[in-house]
Amino acid sequence: MKHAARTTSRFLRRFWRGLREWCGDAAYESYLRAKARQSASCRTLTPAEFYVEQLDRRYSRPNRCC
Amino acid sequence: MKRISSIAVWIAIAALGAGALGSIALHRGEQLNATWFVIAAVSCYLAAFRLYSAFVAAKVLALDDTRATPCERHDDGRDFVPTNKWVLFGHHFAAIAGPGPLVGPTLAAQFGYLPGTLWLIAGAALAGCVQDFVILFCSIRRDGKSLGQMAREEVSERGGFIAQLAVLAIMTILLAVIGLVVVNALKSSPWATFTLAMTIPIALLLGLYLRFLRPGRVLEASVMGVALVVLVVVAGQWVADSPSWSRVFTLSSIALAFAIIVYGFAASALPVWLLLAPRDYLSAFIKAGAIFSLATGILFVRPQVLMPPLTRFIDGSGPVFAGKIFPFCFITIACGAISGFHSLISSGTTPKMILRESHARFIGYGAMLLESFVGVMAMIAACAMPPGVYFAINSPSSVVGGTGDAAAATISGWGYPLQAQTMIDLAHRVGEITLWNRAGGAPSLAVGMAQIFSSTIGGERLLSIWYHFAIMFEALFILTVLDAGTRVGRFMVQDLGSRAWKPFGRTGWMPGILLSSAIIVALWGYFLYQGVVDPLGGINSLWPIFGISNQLLAAVALVVATTILMKMGRLRWIWVTLLPMVWVVIITMTASYQKIFDANPRIGFLANANVLAAQIAAGRIPAAKIAETQRLIFNQRLDAAVTGVLAAMILVLIVEALAQWYSILSRGTKPVLHESPYVATRWAANYSGAAHGDD
Repeated sequence: MKHAARTTSRFLRRFWRGLREWCGDAAYESYLRAKARQSASCRTLTPAEFYVEQLDRRYSRPNRCC
Repeated sequence: MKRISSIAVWIAIAALGAGALGSIALHRGEQLNATWFVIAAVSCYLAAFRLYSAFVAAKVLALDDTRATPCERHDDGRDFVPTNKWVLFGHHFAAIAGPGPLVGPTLAAQFGYLPGTLWLIAGAALAGCVQDFVILFCSIRRDGKSLGQMAREEVSERGGFIAQLAVLAIMTILLAVIGLVVVNALKSSPWATFTLAMTIPIALLLGLYLRFLRPGRVLEASVMGVALVVLVVVAGQWVADSPSWSRVFTLSSIALAFAIIVYGFAASALPVWLLLAPRDYLSAFIKAGAIFSLATGILFVRPQVLMPPLTRFIDGSGPVFAGKIFPFCFITIACGAISGFHSLISSGTTPKMILRESHARFIGYGAMLLESFVGVMAMIAACAMPPGVYFAINSPSSVVGGTGDAAAATISGWGYPLQAQTMIDLAHRVGEITLWNRAGGAPSLAVGMAQIFSSTIGGERLLSIWYHFAIMFEALFILTVLDAGTRVGRFMVQDLGSRAWKPFGRTGWMPGILLSSAIIVALWGYFLYQGVVDPLGGINSLWPIFGISNQLLAAVALVVATTILMKMGRLRWIWVTLLPMVWVVIITMTASYQKIFDANPRIGFLANANVLAAQIAAGRIPAAKIAETQRLIFNQRLDAAVTGVLAAMILVLIVEALAQWYSILSRGTKPVLHESPYVATRWAANYSGAAHGDD
């Protein structure tokens, strides 16, 4: 029973994380993690700056098909 | 022992698939249950994925998991983001699955259920999935380069230019034809028009929320947005019941076309965070929910398929669109079987986010199989309604007759019994004024979906709500493709224009933004308007041109893929991409020839123009209609010219590729391959993406 509850909770946690990544909710967190991995000294964008910059890039190339 | 049981399982799946396919193909007489379609499709997909995609991955592409992918080498948290393969599968599927796999099979159902279903399954397994998979692999090996860049580097400079023009051509025709589908779904429907109109303020609200209140909190904003959309679907009924509001939202086809044109311009010129992106978030969630619900509904309801396997219209006299089963079934169903547009996604965002080369098989091949399944579900939904009703909804009045009684008599005369009262009752039950002459696939699909949904939840009481939910779902994500496509088209126009005048290419320069938006909107807007005023219904002309341009892009992608395989020294396996390429070229060229030169005026553009010109010369057109008829003649000739240019582009590309292939084969030395150099991965074998590393 305990094992089933642990498995379910782990599955739900993974599903939630996957959903957040899929829809872009976790994009800023990914950006911060990548920034921490890099040694470059350029300024870290605020959430609002990152959001607008990311959208401008994403919607300048084909990203939705027929 | 494990191996023997695995072989036994796969033999059982293959036998089940063969049996189900046999039932579909050989069934005559009594009605067939849709469950057979699901079993046949799923078994074939499983077998194709397990066997054929594994063969392509191991032998043809020799995927190498020791090689660092672009997201490892350039990891910047922006474009190059290491992403879990299931999440990336969802991303990729959401990007490739648009209205095409829903509308195409619905239109092709006029040939009966069999040709379209077989093409969806076989076309996807042997051509469409292979194209998506191989192009994704090629782009991964080139740091996520686009199809145009790869065509320029691996085929020729001219090949790259043709790819760029092909993308612009397909974009223009695609936007016009999907705009027409929306017009035909919304015309004379205050409920549907109100619902869709309300999605604009909802999107603006979400845009402001995501920009200023909670930047980037997409999930919570989407939940609010979806709740508001469901609310406006229900509220639409009150609008339709109110005489004064109903008048406001009852628009003619031409008024709707202009509204869509203005919307496209606004979405392209406004900041992307304000309207376009929030709409896309809404659309993605509703799309995923609606497709999942349709699959569940079909499995739960198990509807009977009422359409025969083959109809009399395989001879080319179809009322929805004219043309014989070959090549028009294969042109009509592009997305769902093979779609060139997918190669833009496979060489766009996805290769920059993929963790391992081996994931390309699951994402490239697997996501296309799922899209093909969406196409099969659309086919089931269209074929589960009585054929008479299907033809009544999808046939233009110029073919079946202008009044309900005349149309019912014509359709009954074809052998598909229908009474005018049936259509009046059906329109009343789904909350519409009329369902006659709504070509474009969306309303008939919505009727099919609503019947399946209401059999699962709510029964007859909720039929009208489900119908308008389905219409809203289709129109919402069609408009998402339309506004995203217009914006990308704007960038292409700016890029081309900057060759003549540099400042035009500056993406932040307002006059450049406005002018380039106006140019791209004028291009597709003209074709949309032409489709709306076309007496043959618009879809008859535009959908085949769209199919041809989409398959043209598939030919470009497969030429690039074949050339790269040749350069990699995989000559033994080039048939994997060469055979689909030859098939796509054959169907595209045959369809182009027939659309231009066929003597039947419903098929051939020039024949139709000549018939209209002869009517003017013989004085059979009233003076008041002469100018309008001359415009129709011009449009038919323009369509012929556009089709001719598309066909010529394919021919030039084939000649370019043949010259390149000859030089590769005759040279004897190793050809230059523009792959990124090999870098060994530093990620552990079980690494599954940045956010998943901790679990």
